[in-house]
Parts: sequence; structure tokens; C-alpha cells
Amino acid sequence: MTRTTRLDGFGFIAPLLVLMVVAFNAPIVYMLGLAFWEKGRGFTLEHYEGLAEAPVYLRVLGNTMRIALIATIANVVIGYPLAHWMRGLGRRGRMIAVALVVLPFWVSILVRTYAWIVVLGNGGLVNRALQWSGLTDAPVSFLYNELGVTIGMANVLLPFLVLPLFAAMIRIDDRLLQAAASLGAPPRTIFWKVYFPLTLPALAAGALLVFILCLGFYVTPAILGGGRVPMISNLLDTLINQIPRWEQASAISTLLLIVTLAIFAAYRRIDRKASA
Amino acid sequence: MSREAIGGSAWTRRGLAAMGIFGLVFLTVPLVIVIPMSFSSARALTFPPPSLSLRWYETFFGDPRWMEAMWTSTFVAAISSVAALILGGLAAYGLRRGTFKGRDWAEGNFMAPLIVPTIIVAIALYLALAKVGLLGSLLGLVVAHTLLNVPLVMMVLGVAIREFDQRIEQVAWSLGASWGYTMRKVVLPNLAPSVFAAWIFAFIGSFDEVIVTSFIAGKYETVPKKMFNELVLEVNPTITAVATLLIAFTVLALAAVAFVLGRAGKLKETVV
Repeated sequence: MTRTTRLDGFGFIAPLLVLMVVAFNAPIVYMLGLAFWEKGRGFTLEHYEGLAEAPVYLRVLGNTMRIALIATIANVVIGYPLAHWMRGLGRRGRMIAVALVVLPFWVSILVRTYAWIVVLGNGGLVNRALQWSGLTDAPVSFLYNELGVTIGMANVLLPFLVLPLFAAMIRIDDRLLQAAASLGAPPRTIFWKVYFPLTLPALAAGALLVFILCLGFYVTPAILGGGRVPMISNLLDTLINQIPRWEQASAISTLLLIVTLAIFAAYRRIDRKASA
Repeated sequence: MSREAIGGSAWTRRGLAAMGIFGLVFLTVPLVIVIPMSFSSARALTFPPPSLSLRWYETFFGDPRWMEAMWTSTFVAAISSVAALILGGLAAYGLRRGTFKGRDWAEGNFMAPLIVPTIIVAIALYLALAKVGLLGSLLGLVVAHTLLNVPLVMMVLGVAIREFDQRIEQVAWSLGASWGYTMRKVVLPNLAPSVFAAWIFAFIGSFDEVIVTSFIAGKYETVPKKMFNELVLEVNPTITAVATLLIAFTVLALAAVAFVLGRAGKLKETVV
């Protein structure tokens, strides 16, 4: 067998590379340019000074961070038991559960967000149930506030946490747990000392991924927040489409991009450990 | 066995089952509720619907603007998914089989649209397209959808190509087959199920794309863009019919993927 069959292969990626450089890399570089450049004066941090002075930007930033954090925690609290329970199911049960997690993942985010208006609205299922059970007299307002946005985001992002976590959990060798049991460890100890530490890298990676996605969320806050729960993306929308201040939008986008890439770098490190 | 090792008492197990089922319900109930609501006769979104009718479907199919949005969505998804499939497929092959330098860097760049918040891609494209005068053009829309769906294609095909034994291709080459012939007669037939899955995923990805489209589509309306604009303004029950149609479309598309991959015995590696 000759080695002439080894190919360089650069030709295969060349067409896509051209497209990406022209239609993805160049626009992002152009955006960075707008953020840091002023005509005739060159490099400037002026657009960032503007950000620091306007309290509204800082408030939106704080809002975004808080909602992202709460939605991530909700994801962990709902997702971890779900993935763990799925691991314990039989073959058939696992397949059905995976299908039920994968399906919403592929359904349009608009549909999933809109569905919450139907479920959480004043005449919706949840309020009907609450009133019927006598827990409340008047409808509880879930919509057009932070609570609704958080519920919607947690729902949309849950598959991103559950699928990799489940994949990591089914890789854990049952014999490890049996060994611990045969040495006399009670179930609680086995869970916390053996099982949980083994799932921790995947959990951390999944949570970071969910957090990154939360930071850039646009559709859910716009619909379920009804304009009352501004997040970074909605602010950017305003700065581009309503009061055109492109430099400021570029400056905020750059900031968001840097934060995202930094968290993503951490995610990659943990994810390598999780899948090793 | 593990269930016994870490399952604990019957109470712990029941508690876990309750939490797991709650998680599944939390994921799926919104979708399940939308479907009966779309057949409601009432304007208000009350559950259960007071009586059944098809009026929201009639409104949807009778509205020329919805129909035009449907056509635009289909057109853009058809072209951009095929473009993403060809470009992404070739690149995935080059990255898995090639030996050139900088493969990690190239792959990172191709996968970036998945990680970079979509709003940033939308803004960068908006600014750049405005600069070159292509804002609100179909070309800009198709190119944007193509690059957004390349990562999906590369993920599915990257796994499939890695699993496909390279020696089979090398045998074809050493027997004198040309590169194109090897691709057509050896590689593609073996990868066909994954290629189909990748194309469906890219099609759904494009058909559902809303953020970038809202920013750069200008006068063009796609189904998600129109849906988004209507939802931000007011809640209109026609949306429930659109949502049900989109759910049905997704279920059918995924069922087709599951069927094709299942027949080839490749379902598991692609899904999880």
C-alpha cells in the first residue's frame, strides 16, 4: 500500500472557507472596527465610555446576568434528576424519554415560547389548575415579567443540558457502583462519593453551555417579557433597529462576544475532561 | 443493577421518578397543549377550548401574506440547506481525512456560528450587508442561513465520516478509481443515511431561523419572522394553527430521519 493515497484535503474545505471568511469573519471584524474606530481619529474607547456612563446599560447587563443564572440553576435542578432517572430506565423507556427530550429541541423556538403564553396566561392551564385547587383566587401573572421569561428560557434550553448529561451518565460503569456497594457503602454515600463526582464534569459543561446561550437569548425575552424584561439582545435590537446607534451596538456586541468566548473556552476545557 | 446500588429506598426511587416525569412534562406539555388550542373556536386562549373549529387554519391558508411567507421560507430553506450540505459535507470530509495544517483552527471557525450568540451574527451581518447594499436581499438571506446551518451538517457528517473505514476508500483508489468516482460510488452510498439526516436538520434549522432573518430580511417575510412580529404585538390565535403545523412538520421530519438512520443502524450515535 502506497502513501500516495493520503490526501492533503485543503481543497475540500476551500469553498466553505471562502464563504465563511467573506460572510462571517469579515462582518464580525467590521463590527469590531465600528466598536473601536472613529473616522479620522483612529482607535478609540469612546463608545465604551458612553456605556459606562449610562446606567440603563448596566442595569440591562445585570438583568441579563441574573436571569441567565437563575435559568441555568433551574435547568440543573430539573435536568439532573431527569437525566439520572432516564439512566435507570429500561431500553425501551430510555428510547421514549430520549425522543421526548430530542423532539422539543428541534421544534421552533417560537412555537415553544408561544406555547407558554397558552399555558401560563390568565385563562391558561396553570392558572385554571391553581384556581380550581383553591390555592389562589385571582390569576397569578406569569407572563410579561421575569418569572415567565425565566420559565421559557429554562424550557428552551433544557435539552442542551439533559442530552450531554445523560450521555455521560450512561457511560458510567455499573460495576463501579456495585463495587462500592459490595464494600458496604450505603446508596446515599455511593451517589455522592462515586456517582455524582463522575457526572460533575458533564454537569458543569452543560451548565456553562446553557449559561452562554442564555446570555444571547433574544426571542423568549421579547415575547414572554412583553418589552418589560430587557436583556442584552433586546437592547441591541433597539440600538440597531429603533434608535440607530450602530457604534454603541457594536461596542456592546463586542463585549458580549468576548464574555461568550471566555466562558466557551472554560466549557471546552471541562468538556474535554468530561468526555475523556 | 445500578438502580439497586444507588437507587436507595422505594421512597427515593419514587421521588426520582416523580422528578424525572416532571422534567419530561415540563419539556413536552407546552407542545401538547398548543395542538388542541389550534382547533378552538374561540378568540381567547382558554383551555380547554369551548368548542372545536378549523377557523384558524382557514385564516392561515386564506391569508396571502402567510402563504407568501411560507413560500419564502421554503425557498430559502431549500437552497440554503443544500448549499450547507454540499459545503459542510466537503469540509467535514476534508477535516476528517485531510492532513493539511490548521485543521483545528478551520473547524473552530466553521463551528463558530453555533457558539457566537445569534444576535451578534445578526448584527454583524446587518452592518456588513448594509455596507455592501445587500440588506433585504434574498442572496444575503440565503448566504446567512447557509453559514448558520453548516455546523449542524458538519456535526452529523463529521461523526459519520469518522466511523466510515478509510481503508475502503483507499482500496478504491489503489484499484485506480478517480476521486470523483470513489466519492460517488463508495463514500456517498455508505454515508447516505447521515447525509439525509444532515439535510433534514439543515432544512429545519433554516425554516425555523428567526433572529438573523428578522434583522436582515428587509421586506421579505418568512414564517418565523411573521410569527415573531405578530407575537410581539398581540396574541393572535392564528399563530396556534401555525405552531401546530410547525410541530407536525418537525415530528414528520424527525420520524423520517429516525426511520432512515434506524434502518442503517446508525440512530444511536447521531442522536446522543
